[in-house]
Amino acid sequence: MLEVKGLSKRLPTGKTILNDISFRVDKGEFVALLGASGAGKSMTMRAIAGLTSVTAGEVVFSGESGKCYTTITASGKTSGKDLRRARRNIGVIFQGSNLVKRLPVLDNVMIGRLGRIHPLRSWLYGFTDQEASEAMAALERVGMAGFASRRTGSLSGGEVQRVAIARAIFQRPLLYLADEPVSSLDPKNAEAIMQLMQPLAREHPILGAFHQPGMVMHYCTRVIALHKGSIIYNGAPNLSAKQLDEIYCGQADRPEATQELTAAAES
Amino acid sequence: MTWSEFSFERYRRYLPAAAIFIVAVAASAYLSEVSLTDLRRGILKGLSLLTLFFPPDWSACKDMLQPALVTLVICLVATPIGAAFSIVFGLAAARNIAPEWLRLTARTVIAVERGLPEIVILLVLVAAFGLGPFAGVMALAIGSIGMLGKLLADAIEEIDPRVLDAVAAVGATPWQVIRHAVLPEVLPALVANSIFRFEVNVRASVLLGAVGAGGIGYELDAAINQLEYSRATMAVLMILLLVFLSERASDWVRSKVL
Repeated sequence: MLEVKGLSKRLPTGKTILNDISFRVDKGEFVALLGASGAGKSMTMRAIAGLTSVTAGEVVFSGESGKCYTTITASGKTSGKDLRRARRNIGVIFQGSNLVKRLPVLDNVMIGRLGRIHPLRSWLYGFTDQEASEAMAALERVGMAGFASRRTGSLSGGEVQRVAIARAIFQRPLLYLADEPVSSLDPKNAEAIMQLMQPLAREHPILGAFHQPGMVMHYCTRVIALHKGSIIYNGAPNLSAKQLDEIYCGQADRPEATQELTAAAES
Repeated sequence: MTWSEFSFERYRRYLPAAAIFIVAVAASAYLSEVSLTDLRRGILKGLSLLTLFFPPDWSACKDMLQPALVTLVICLVATPIGAAFSIVFGLAAARNIAPEWLRLTARTVIAVERGLPEIVILLVLVAAFGLGPFAGVMALAIGSIGMLGKLLADAIEEIDPRVLDAVAAVGATPWQVIRHAVLPEVLPALVANSIFRFEVNVRASVLLGAVGAGGIGYELDAAINQLEYSRATMAVLMILLLVFLSERASDWVRSKVL
């Protein structure tokens, strides 16, 4: 369960990036963030992962054990240790270009466990055989086991994205964040990645940012739409062409448009 | 543009600069006693001297092997030491790793160090450690830190910040990010640069040898001072061989790691 409460981010220039973002993501959900570029999708993800500072707000999440973790507290101060403890329970599926290109694929997957092993051990010794075989299992799950010893920089976009997912799986998180995981892929590869993520979401919820409404409506369980840093829609993933138009073409500036969208979501 | 518009008018703005440059060169030539008669005399004298350098004294080849080895050993020790320290300086001087105050300090140290020729460092070190290969090792090691540290810092700053964010996002400590993302990305470049620096060090150590670090440079200096020119030729041949071999070795290693 992930709970985002009143997330706001304003730049010193006065520009509002995020405006009072609140939502929940529950067990078994595959939630998509939709919105035009610059609407605040990536910034919301980065804030949840504690990779950017915010002006106000709170992020809390917990797993089945009920233990709560937070990357952004109401007071705004998270110690480095608490932040790392929270982060190790969030599996971030970045765009594939964020892997360490000179490392072999398997090493990139094992990086997912860094938050759980002692820093000294990871410096001097690296990973155990047990961890390596678990990482292999994660690679197998995404169909990349045969690439384990290849240099990551030599893989194609779709392959790299699968490795990024394997890293997140191997991390054993309580929830997944996926920042535009299929944006740089061709339609066939994008479809394959969505098919990989759908069953993952049943184990631990996924919150992802997407630019492909068609795919989102097919695979996701809920849509949250952002426009200029505010939530304008939060509901079922069956949006009409008119609703999509309002999300992407900026008509949501009209207050009644937001109301229409929300009413449509509730019905 | 038509030809009627083309004129030397447009070059007029360069005239003052050209005049200053020509005056400066002429004045410098006068002050440094450049003279064509001296040039002619020097060339003739040099040519007649040149016959003294040939043929090389092949029998001295045996004597040269040990000093050549000393030179090689000096570089073999100095380069890895310099490379190891350059990792510390490289990390400290990288914008995306180090805090601002540390970065500025490290960048300043590197810049000062790069400004000093090895020979100046050696002269200072000889005063402290005395003549001999050890002072040479120290001078070359310190000299290597500047270049390798700067190149490494630049390489680190070029790493995609999203790669480092992604590793931090799994809950890794900053030191773990360095160990598992920064170093793997830049170590091949460091190895390649170090090998290149080894090559540079071989050349530099010849000069340092003449000043007091020992090795083949000292042999060359001694032979010329004792007017044993054919022996000096042998030393030069040995140096050429040394530089050639280190160049081949460095090319080969670089083709493997990069």
